[in-house]
Amino acid sequence: MEEYVEISHMKKSFDGLSVLKDISLSVRKGEVVSIIGPSGSGKSTLLRCATMLDRMDGGSLSYLGKKAAWEENGKCVYASKNEMKQIHRQFGLVFQNFNLFPHYTVLKNIIDAPVSVDKVPVKEAKERAEALLAKLGLADKRDAYPYQLSGGQQQRVSIARALALQPKVLFFDEPTSALDPELTGEVLKVIKELAAEHMTMIIVTHEMQFAKELSDRIIFMEQGVIQAQGTPEEIFSCDNERVRDFIGKFQG
Amino acid sequence: MSIATMVAELAKGMVVSTEVFVLTLLFSLPLGLILSFGRMSANAPLRLVTKIYISLMRGTPLMLQLIVVYFAPFYVFGIKISSGYRFTAVILAFVLNYAAYFAEIYRAGIESIPVGQYEAARVLGYNRVQTFFKIILPQVIKRILPPVTNETITLVKDTSLAFVLAVTEMFTVAKQIAAKESSVMPLMAAGAFYYIFNLVVAMIMERLEKKMSYFR
Repeated sequence: MEEYVEISHMKKSFDGLSVLKDISLSVRKGEVVSIIGPSGSGKSTLLRCATMLDRMDGGSLSYLGKKAAWEENGKCVYASKNEMKQIHRQFGLVFQNFNLFPHYTVLKNIIDAPVSVDKVPVKEAKERAEALLAKLGLADKRDAYPYQLSGGQQQRVSIARALALQPKVLFFDEPTSALDPELTGEVLKVIKELAAEHMTMIIVTHEMQFAKELSDRIIFMEQGVIQAQGTPEEIFSCDNERVRDFIGKFQG
Repeated sequence: MSIATMVAELAKGMVVSTEVFVLTLLFSLPLGLILSFGRMSANAPLRLVTKIYISLMRGTPLMLQLIVVYFAPFYVFGIKISSGYRFTAVILAFVLNYAAYFAEIYRAGIESIPVGQYEAARVLGYNRVQTFFKIILPQVIKRILPPVTNETITLVKDTSLAFVLAVTEMFTVAKQIAAKESSVMPLMAAGAFYYIFNLVVAMIMERLEKKMSYFR
């Protein structure tokens, strides 16, 4: 089995406060992994370190066998700028607050990175973008600006923007937490469709039912460590008291 | 002196005022951006130097700065000052002064952009230059237009300070005519000139704001 993401012994602390304590996690090609856990458990930090928005303090990280960061003499070192460019290409990230570029139309939001970062010809980038928009039910929004869209539409555009770079792995950081309940469905549906196409995904979420339905594996994090992991069945019928407590709260 | 002659004289002075205005904007807007980078730099000494510079430029009178810029080549470097240097000195002093104000406006604008914009750009693979010019700057420009309009309007009126270095801009002409004719009319007319000029400036800036209103 091909390992797409490999995190081992990842550590991160902020001002002496240890947020990630020795996290190891590998994700195989086509796998959908959900990360659940109470707030402050380190889920988002794990995602930020994995996508290199935050620097980790220790441990190692690789994508498709290419080392992005590793430990040397007790210090964490990152790959060279050029290698990093290649590695960056392997993954995409969908943010909780979408972070679309407000001054670009939907189409421009999607094609700009492929064109100006990956040097994809404009025509090809447009074709790619239009196919994505059609797939995500946004074909009629290509010329709209982000402020003209609902939250659910904005999040779908941001998924299209991430997909346009054709990443091997897609991370989601609480993709529906900023949305009204009636808009979460449309975003979850898109993620489910991607799962059906065997897109490799790592999803931080509070949507328990969703995680249960779509994940190959669920990871329960608390206080900076992985407390439990397993298939949805295993996690939802787990004996671990903390996991049961946490899931129980969501099921009311 | 007839009103027509007076207006013609003032209009001639207005050409000089306009030159000072345009050249100052042309150079101080980009210089201000560079200064704002210094002010926000990760390099602490550079940050301190820029901070002190901005503090001095904003904290002392432009009139004094004009005099310093004009006489500095002689008193500091012993270079003989030619009369042609007067206009250059005016532009230099204005640019150095206004860049300090613009730097702080840019800084406020840049710091108001949500960090998520930088993070999105980074994850998508944009380099730092692309991130700034493609993603951040257009949003900054939209946000800073109102304070820039304020500074620009102040600049129009500040051009009258060029008289300190005997550069005959419009208000200098007005004062000369007023003294000769023992009348306040030329001064009032000068006021009307400034007002109309600023009306045009405000209109242009309003247009720009409208142009930037395609996004939020």
